[in-house]
Amino acid sequence: MNVPEHLRYTEEHEWVEVLDDGQVRVGITDYAQDQLGDVVYVELPEPGTEFEKGAMVAEVESTKSVAEVYAPLTGTVTAVNSQLVDSPDLVNRDPYGEGWFVTMTPSDGFDPEQLLDAAAYTRLIE
Amino acid sequence: MTRSPLHDLHVRLGARFVDFGGWEMPVQYESVLEEHRAVRQGVGVFDVSHLGRLEVTGPNSTEILRNLFTNDVAKYEPGRTHYTMLLNDDGGIVDDIVVWRWDEDHYWVMPNAANADRVRATLEDRGAHVVDLRPSTCLLAVQGPAAPRLIEETFGQAPARFRTLEVDGVRMAGTGYTGERGGEVCLPIEAAGPVLEELLEAGAVPCGLGARDTLRLEAGLALWGSDIDETTTPLEAGLDFAVDWDHDFPGKTALECQRQTGPSRRLTGLVMEGRGIPRHGYAVRSGSSVGEVTSGNISPARDTGIALAYLSPPVAVGEPAEVEIRGRWVPARVASPPFHR
Repeated sequence: MNVPEHLRYTEEHEWVEVLDDGQVRVGITDYAQDQLGDVVYVELPEPGTEFEKGAMVAEVESTKSVAEVYAPLTGTVTAVNSQLVDSPDLVNRDPYGEGWFVTMTPSDGFDPEQLLDAAAYTRLIE
Repeated sequence: MTRSPLHDLHVRLGARFVDFGGWEMPVQYESVLEEHRAVRQGVGVFDVSHLGRLEVTGPNSTEILRNLFTNDVAKYEPGRTHYTMLLNDDGGIVDDIVVWRWDEDHYWVMPNAANADRVRATLEDRGAHVVDLRPSTCLLAVQGPAAPRLIEETFGQAPARFRTLEVDGVRMAGTGYTGERGGEVCLPIEAAGPVLEELLEAGAVPCGLGARDTLRLEAGLALWGSDIDETTTPLEAGLDFAVDWDHDFPGKTALECQRQTGPSRRLTGLVMEGRGIPRHGYAVRSGSSVGEVTSGNISPARDTGIALAYLSPPVAVGEPAEVEIRGRWVPARVASPPFHR
């Protein structure tokens, strides 16, 4: 299972990438998409919406089940990956790239060190 | 948990497994959607060795089966297959079954995996001579538009639709559970692995129970344990095509009573018009009718959600409906399966 070194992770199988401008990009991990199977629908939030850490930010439906995606941090959604509406299979094909879900501006006090690093996440899914 | 004799081969093919009726069977190899499409467009092969295979022989076989099942076995001559049901006294469906008739008094009774022991006990109670073929055989379902040709290339002949065929000790029938052409092939255990590999080599895609479920749902075929069970009747489930009213069977009196008044609910097809996948247990409403989804998933052919649901009172095809998907009422329409044609 692919767990890129440069990302941070949650115990609920989201990944977080801290971008150069301080925003973060969020998606679900390779392990999560593999467990879900073929993704057939993704329900995304409205840009501008604020989320508390742990609140449901998106929904993913697969041929097997439905899963919730939780905000890995408190912040405001700045953009959503609208490609997922017509091509939900991007979540399966490229979970860390074209299959991203949202970008967020973290609220003050966000510290990526509070999230799991690749080694800790790898231990979680093993 | 019982495993298929082909388990190790499935592991090598990268299968993931699921518990189904007490059996650990492949649920998918690469992708449920790709396996689904392979069966709609080409040919897929499923290991369905978990399915019950009860061989019934003896001079009283026809009479015993005739008096037990909703369809009249005597009306299907040797060489034909038919769909039938075993009911309880209330008319509830104890099991839905496919019967392969080989000879005057030689049948294969194919119950659902989870019900095989119960159907066997019922047959034996009635004095039937029953042999469970599962310990000695595997069953492969070869399905798809290219399946008849592949079966013919592999075995020398292919069965016609709903007909049985025996070639060199391999028994098969033109049956399946996908809404496609093809057949189900019963093989001695030691022959099954090489035959499966030969089928894959010839281009068949290995398919698991995940695709089997989306295929049967798209074809509008009921699944025992989800859409039908002991609390639902053939009339409610729209399976009365497999009820022969000219002979006696358990549950007939209750069923005739329901036939007089008409069932208060009907198993109904739904096609989503909004986003979201209807799933087992979700609430449905249409006008003054209410009900519950019994099976739902994506229809790869339509790229939209589809479902089977009981609606009470019954609703006509074409009427608007709504499915409650996690708190939101999403628009749908009542439709008549199959959904993929």
